[in-house]
Amino acid sequence: MSEEHVVIIGNGPAGNQAAMSIRENDPEVRITLISRESGACCRPHLFPDLIAGKIPEEALYACPIDAYQERGIKLRTGQEVVRLNPEERVLMLEHKEVVRFTGLIIAVGGRPRIPEPLLVFQDLMFTLKTLRDAKAWVKRLSEVESVLIMGGDLPSLALTKALLEMGKKITFLFNEDAFWPLRCDDALFEEVGERFSLKGVEVLANRPVKSIARKSEETYEIEVDGRKVEAGMIGAFFGLVPDIRFLAGCGLRIDRGILVDEFLNTGFEGVYATGDCAQIYHPEIRDYWVSIGHDNAVALGHIAAQNLTGGKMQAVMPLESIFEVKGIKVNTSWWMEF
Amino acid sequence: MSSVDLTVEICGMSGDGTIAAGGLLNEAMSGAGLSVLAFDSYPAEIRGFGRCVTLSRFGDEEMLALSDKTHVLISLDDKESRSRIPYLVKDAVVLYDNRPPSYVTEDQAIAAHVDPGVRLFGMPFGDLAAEATGSTRGRNLVALGGFAALFEVAPQFFHEAIKKKFAPKGEKILGANLKSFDRGYQYAGKKFEERPLNLLSIPKAAGEEKRVLLSGNVAITRGALDAGLKLYFGYPITPATPIMEYLAKALPERGGRVMQMEDEISSIGAVLGSFFAGQRAMTATSGPGFALMTELITHGVMAEIPAVIIDAQRAGPATGLPTKTEQSDLQAAVFGGPGDSARIVIAPTNVAECHEYTLKSFQLAEKYQTPVIVLSDFFLNNRVESTSMPRASDGEIADWTLYPDGSVKDHYLRYRITESGISPRAIPGMDGYLFNATGLEHTEGGIPDYSPANHTKMTEKRHRKIQGALQDLPPPKAFSRDEGMDVGVIAWGSTFGSALEAVLGAQKKGLKVGALKITSIFPYHAEVIRTFMDRCKEILIPELNYEGQLSNLIGHLHGKDVARLNRVTGLPMPASAIYGKIETLL
Repeated sequence: MSEEHVVIIGNGPAGNQAAMSIRENDPEVRITLISRESGACCRPHLFPDLIAGKIPEEALYACPIDAYQERGIKLRTGQEVVRLNPEERVLMLEHKEVVRFTGLIIAVGGRPRIPEPLLVFQDLMFTLKTLRDAKAWVKRLSEVESVLIMGGDLPSLALTKALLEMGKKITFLFNEDAFWPLRCDDALFEEVGERFSLKGVEVLANRPVKSIARKSEETYEIEVDGRKVEAGMIGAFFGLVPDIRFLAGCGLRIDRGILVDEFLNTGFEGVYATGDCAQIYHPEIRDYWVSIGHDNAVALGHIAAQNLTGGKMQAVMPLESIFEVKGIKVNTSWWMEF
Repeated sequence: MSSVDLTVEICGMSGDGTIAAGGLLNEAMSGAGLSVLAFDSYPAEIRGFGRCVTLSRFGDEEMLALSDKTHVLISLDDKESRSRIPYLVKDAVVLYDNRPPSYVTEDQAIAAHVDPGVRLFGMPFGDLAAEATGSTRGRNLVALGGFAALFEVAPQFFHEAIKKKFAPKGEKILGANLKSFDRGYQYAGKKFEERPLNLLSIPKAAGEEKRVLLSGNVAITRGALDAGLKLYFGYPITPATPIMEYLAKALPERGGRVMQMEDEISSIGAVLGSFFAGQRAMTATSGPGFALMTELITHGVMAEIPAVIIDAQRAGPATGLPTKTEQSDLQAAVFGGPGDSARIVIAPTNVAECHEYTLKSFQLAEKYQTPVIVLSDFFLNNRVESTSMPRASDGEIADWTLYPDGSVKDHYLRYRITESGISPRAIPGMDGYLFNATGLEHTEGGIPDYSPANHTKMTEKRHRKIQGALQDLPPPKAFSRDEGMDVGVIAWGSTFGSALEAVLGAQKKGLKVGALKITSIFPYHAEVIRTFMDRCKEILIPELNYEGQLSNLIGHLHGKDVARLNRVTGLPMPASAIYGKIETLL
């Protein structure tokens, strides 16, 4: 093993791909992959299939957990980075362990966003970001027949399809800022609503939630714009926010995500950010864009790995695949799936 | 086989309260109705250096052996706990201190070294203890609180265990320990969503007799007390010292006496003197002390004086590895000392038998007028098991001394030749039964006599007597389902539990294997052993010694060489090692 030590924070699709690509490029370098979640890398776009019982849990994993060991990648699960000093090239874990690195890729992804007015009801809502979340959905769905979905981001559309197949009664509280960090335009908003209505989903568009109360073990009562709706569980789907609070004050440039150049470099030598947590500079449009979706994340993870190991690969998506809504430029590999 | 089988390790440095935490955990789990088998490993140094590990196995059925696969590791010191990582199962739970007093590097953090399938649960042990009591000393109790919350064990079981241990130390200490435990329980209950296992969901056997948690050392002590022990003489040595400590408290309460002697030679001398005078006495030692006793043991053989000696074996030779286990005193116990000095050697295989055989050893010593050696080992002495409260029947307590009858008064021959080899024994002071006792070869009347005929006659008498003891010694017990077996495993001492677990596991897989438990080491039931061997294609004898000491003793009974499994790691024999060896013999 060389003295080089590459650390990747986050084992989502981007981080996982970054680790694998680095190993392909350099069979000797020491690689540590730190993940807050337990287990191997999941493909979260398959969660709806898991919930619907179409696939077993094993099918979610991008690779089996033994594969990391086989490739000489030290996977550290259930561990959280709480501080970073990119200048000194050290990071600290929650349990006060100091880890030194020569190269770093930040691929922490996002965490479910709950709009501020709804934060008070957070404990009553189910999100769908991690495998643990998915398992919680499976368990609760086995006990209830009706679901209220709030928001309307891309995972919620796939989940709704799965829930319909399961015969669940769905009420969709469709919200125009569900595609955070962008908003639906009116045409899309209407089209989605119509499609769901045709499939038997009760769609309530842009209705503010006034209260949520637990009526019994099986039922919640949601007061929406003067009307009361009952549901066995409530899902919150308002997009993801980059999970980068631990980077506050560390010297990295932060906007909505970590600002990086077209090579995914943060401005510190050997320190890269990739996947959903990065805001990437596009030299042609001279602005930053954000990426959503599994395939994009994998591609960006690969690019970060190439550049960390001496490559010079640009993360420049074709202009036509980047669209702008309300001032924010987005590329999503999921967009066309629905 | 158990539906629940959970092995929990607590690892820390000396001074972390590791052993105390392990004891409380065992007590609580036993209180919750689970079977417990536990063992502590600590360094020879008294404090401040070295790793302490407690290993506990819990289940809903009797635990036969420790497991070499750990399901839960509670790390009180990450640096030390790293050594335990290879024993973790793939999805093990590690409960660790995530707020150590200072920053740590990768080599000091257990989180940096566990495999990715291992589930980490970090808790600020020290901070929570300080919050609860103003001192970080209770961090081991905080960790236990975390365990209780994670595995859904009702706090009451831990509260009871904590009260039992700390109530004698006063309200303040008891209160601090309870608060530390409760703080850990509350914190973990809120912080951790995952519950790896609900231990309280384990079904308990209805109407099961109340079980208590006993160590081998305590069981030996109780056996001796139940036998009516009057005098204990000893010199401290690991792992036998606790026997003297327990007796120092308990024996005077029953009218007996404990005396710490200047060494092991004087200890065995005093034991012989007591029995000579008609009082039940005992000593306990380990290998190095036993070596010092050998001359006087043979004096007991020659002068036909009873004695009870506990040899708590530890790894040797010489001072050896004082805190590590081994079964390497067998040859010394059976053959040690000058001359043909046959004596009785018995070896319990579990805690209940530590009680049973210690109790029995007094009767055997009296009836056969010879030293009886109870061979235990470090693992057996120090492990704790949940077991039925041992009680001695009147028959087990009875005096087995064969006294001379009135017909021989005034012409009493102390060493009279008999068919059984047992000569009625008078106690000094009995009017009309004066005799001479000596370590020199002697006549039936006890007069020194070196003639060839006399020595031959008396040697034969003494050996006839010892061989005759077989009728009172527990015969080997077979655990087999098939008349013919591919492999028969013969084991003794603490290794037997591992052997039986391996054999039961193999039987469950349809393999034709069986086990034979031998507790009478000398004399041994040759015909029973031979019959078992004849039923097996291959015989395997696993032992915690290098030379294969039981194999050397009984191996000749098999028509061909026996297979041996010898380990001198200082650790108990893992069932998996025996199972692995069985597979190679099939």
